[in-house]
Amino acid sequence: MSSPWPLLITLTYVAVAMVIGLRARAGRSMNSLEEWGVAGRSMGPVTLYLLIAAGSVSAYTFMGAPGWAYSKGVAVFYVAIYLAYLALVAWYFGPKVWQFGEQFGHVTQASAIADRYQSPTLGALAALVMAIGSVAYAVLQTIGSAYILFVMSGGVIPIWLGVFLVLGCIAVYLYASGQRAIGRTNAFQGVLMLIVAWAVGLWAVQSATGGLSFAGVFERIQADHGEFLTLPGAGGDMSFSFWTTSIIVSMFSFMPPVWTQWMSASSARTIRRSATWLPTYYVVILPMVVVGFIGIFSLPELARADTVALEYAMQHLPVVLVGLLGAGTLAASMSSSEPFIHSISLSLSKDVLQPVLKLSDGVTGKLARLLILPVMFLVVAPLAIAEPGSLVMILLVGLGFASQVLPAFIGMFFWPRASRLGVMAGIVAGFLVTVVFTTLWPHPLGIHAGFWGLMINLPIFIAVSLITPATNAEVVERFFRISAPRGLSYIGQQIEQVKTPTSR
Amino acid sequence: MRRLLVLPTSRAGWRLLIAFVALVAAGTWPVIGLVNRTTLVMGLPLMVVWSYLVIFACVVVMLIGNHIVERDDHE
Repeated sequence: MSSPWPLLITLTYVAVAMVIGLRARAGRSMNSLEEWGVAGRSMGPVTLYLLIAAGSVSAYTFMGAPGWAYSKGVAVFYVAIYLAYLALVAWYFGPKVWQFGEQFGHVTQASAIADRYQSPTLGALAALVMAIGSVAYAVLQTIGSAYILFVMSGGVIPIWLGVFLVLGCIAVYLYASGQRAIGRTNAFQGVLMLIVAWAVGLWAVQSATGGLSFAGVFERIQADHGEFLTLPGAGGDMSFSFWTTSIIVSMFSFMPPVWTQWMSASSARTIRRSATWLPTYYVVILPMVVVGFIGIFSLPELARADTVALEYAMQHLPVVLVGLLGAGTLAASMSSSEPFIHSISLSLSKDVLQPVLKLSDGVTGKLARLLILPVMFLVVAPLAIAEPGSLVMILLVGLGFASQVLPAFIGMFFWPRASRLGVMAGIVAGFLVTVVFTTLWPHPLGIHAGFWGLMINLPIFIAVSLITPATNAEVVERFFRISAPRGLSYIGQQIEQVKTPTSR
Repeated sequence: MRRLLVLPTSRAGWRLLIAFVALVAAGTWPVIGLVNRTTLVMGLPLMVVWSYLVIFACVVVMLIGNHIVERDDHE
């Protein structure tokens, strides 16, 4: 690419994100876990809406989703549906998680698990294994960021330099402002992505059909490539069973950064308000997917499907829009990688190092901030530069594991009898099944590996819980005063009332 | 406390639970099979239109849920 504008626009975005991230601190001390970890539980509904929305819309929306539309068709919309279902999950569980944090002082998901089951070992295990999936996710997003800088600079910024540039930028404002930086930068990135996606999508439609209606694109696809408009899609690999089980598994993957985001809200009501409107943000996916559909007839010989939006933009769109697409894609990858890096550092210091080294809260707070540096530059950067072929596999296994932690949450929100050993047994069995059905025998019968894992995990969790000692009754009651403020029931019969003051 | 489950404790709570389950059913098999056609609706594939209907129905159900939670003054 000969024009300097795309690179200048992309670098301008990076500079603006840095300024916003650094200013988010606003003179506060960031050495406590409450402040650096969960922004002093202060985020309002609009910031929280954009924080969660931008965090969930990764580089996948700008690269992967158009690529899926290009190679498979409407199968890509399973992502939009499960993201909407995640809003339902946030609406129900988010306010309760916030109350746990406010009343019991939790700042991480693993600390809530350790507290509920009175087991620092279970908390540390959850933190460590969740970290595997989180690292893989952060690495994938960093590779996406570096690739964008490589393309926008016409190859002048090599991948390794792009990795260090992006991580260096995130490190500066993440160290300085913690979760407040993530909130502010994600708000900016969320707005930018929405504008860029629709500007690029509409311009692409105009250049491909001469009008602004998506109908022209889809009428052509319907006439020549009808298989792209239905399941199992053009690749033939998105069966009804895989669509359904992928949605269910993704819905029940309570990733740690999401938990931290809920705890950062100013009140339980704030989370409900943000979650309610969250699905509206996912209109961001539609225009980029349409660019992928345009690619089916405009770029039929593309070697890499996930470059379809960038390739189309570079061939048909003005340089300013190409630059904005670069900035938007970079915003998507940065807004998704920084919450994961933050949550890995937070959880490793709070849930692994603090109990092992018997550290004070003050030292743990300082350690969490410092840990982002080794996490970024000794783990994420080398992996992103090496681009190991098995990374996607690590991510799939990691996400598969995330859903296997479901028993821990069932015991927190629905079933007081769940025991520490029951949760551990369920997680281990579910994880092993997920690993086998991801690596050795991928998704048997077209059912997602994580779903197979849950089918083994849940019966084992229930059986082992029933034959092993329950958690201390006082602890269970403390949790269920929040999870079930109106009482606990046998099916259809309310038998116990637990009065508790509501928290808004 | 040992064998109890958390379930809705009011009629409105049960209705909300049923609405949540119906939303999840609407976006998965077998319901998704009913809209798996190459038909275009307002220029968009039926699957895309259905997906966004489900997505916006989620907003409506949560708005109703907010009303119930705030009316009954509980979480």
